[in-house]
Amino acid sequence: MATFHLQIVTPDRMVYDGESPKIIVRTVNGDVCILPRHIDYAVPLAIGEARITDEKGETRVAACNSGMLSVHGNEVRLVAVTFEWADDIDLERAKRAETTAQQALEQLQREDRDFTLAEAKLKRALNRIHVKG
Amino acid sequence: MAGSSMKAIKLRIKSVESTMQITKAMQLVATSKLRRAKERMENSKPYAAISREALQEAVMQCDEKSTPFLELREEKNRCYVVIAGERGLAGGYNANVFKALAAHAEDRPFSVLPLGKKAIDKFQHMHVPLLDDSLSHVEGLSVGSCFQLANRLIEGYQHGDFDALFLVYTSFRSMMAQEVQLEQLLPIERAEESGENARAVATIYEPSPAEMLEAVVPDYLAGRLYSAACDSFASEVSARRNAMDSATKNAGEMISDLRLKYNRARQGAITQEITEIVAGAEN
Repeated sequence: MATFHLQIVTPDRMVYDGESPKIIVRTVNGDVCILPRHIDYAVPLAIGEARITDEKGETRVAACNSGMLSVHGNEVRLVAVTFEWADDIDLERAKRAETTAQQALEQLQREDRDFTLAEAKLKRALNRIHVKG
Repeated sequence: MAGSSMKAIKLRIKSVESTMQITKAMQLVATSKLRRAKERMENSKPYAAISREALQEAVMQCDEKSTPFLELREEKNRCYVVIAGERGLAGGYNANVFKALAAHAEDRPFSVLPLGKKAIDKFQHMHVPLLDDSLSHVEGLSVGSCFQLANRLIEGYQHGDFDALFLVYTSFRSMMAQEVQLEQLLPIERAEESGENARAVATIYEPSPAEMLEAVVPDYLAGRLYSAACDSFASEVSARRNAMDSATKNAGEMISDLRLKYNRARQGAITQEITEIVAGAEN
């Protein structure tokens, strides 16, 4: 099985460093699947689900939040702001974040500066809940 | 006479001993913190390095007009992010950072975003405009707060509050050597043209190199701040460890010196007493 070298990093650690035959991530343009021998490519990421297949062929799901994806020859790099495997997600915390974000949104107007922030918070919380569930 | 000097020496030894206990304890604390600090620093490095590389590749595809992050403006106002320590007693750690900043800023006006209590105090004292004075704690600085900082800095930059952004921090080279680093964060500097360029040309950027850049710059800045903070904290702790190590050694030397003096004084007193007794017996 052809593979490529995948590195997943977040600011506080290297999450994954190894071979992978296939990943699917949500970019700003929608979901993208990277297979070996992909053309050199770079794109910013959105908030969404990431599916990473490891060298044994097992696929793991993770909640991925912003950042970028770059492909250079055989090197694929996923530079994410946060990246949590489904098993590591704290569901209670995500649910709490969802309620607080929703409450904040009800108080705010669309033009407010904090509206976008609260909206992003809500999106992240919903994404975590979705990935975990 | 001999008795009072003996007492004075004894008191001196006691006070040096208690100082030594403190320096020793601080050294031990620094040593135990160092391991964790180094680990955090190592973990923060890949992100900063990889995002920097990706950024440079995107930069090669953009021209100055396409995004404000590349545009060279006239440098009227500079802003420095200064990372110093929370406490002193770390050798020249804090002073070196401020020295490097003063040498770079010369007489131009600048504003500062200080991290670490020592930096906040210093610039408040100098009456330099501060962007924020609440970040006194470098040790526990979270990734989240780095993102908030990065967003604020970018807002300030786009708003025109400052035309160039620099970062001053201390880089951990080894246990013995820490080096102050000063680098430009905004506008983004172009790396030297090289073979890499050809590789970047063949890359497809979605939606476009400029949009890609705008999306990645805040993340890059935040990652850079976080990694610099981790680097600085590791440097601070190891600088303190070294300073306290030599303080403990010096105290030890001083004590053995004083012991010698004490014993000499004691011997002198005994000799004198014998001479007095002998003289009395002869009479």
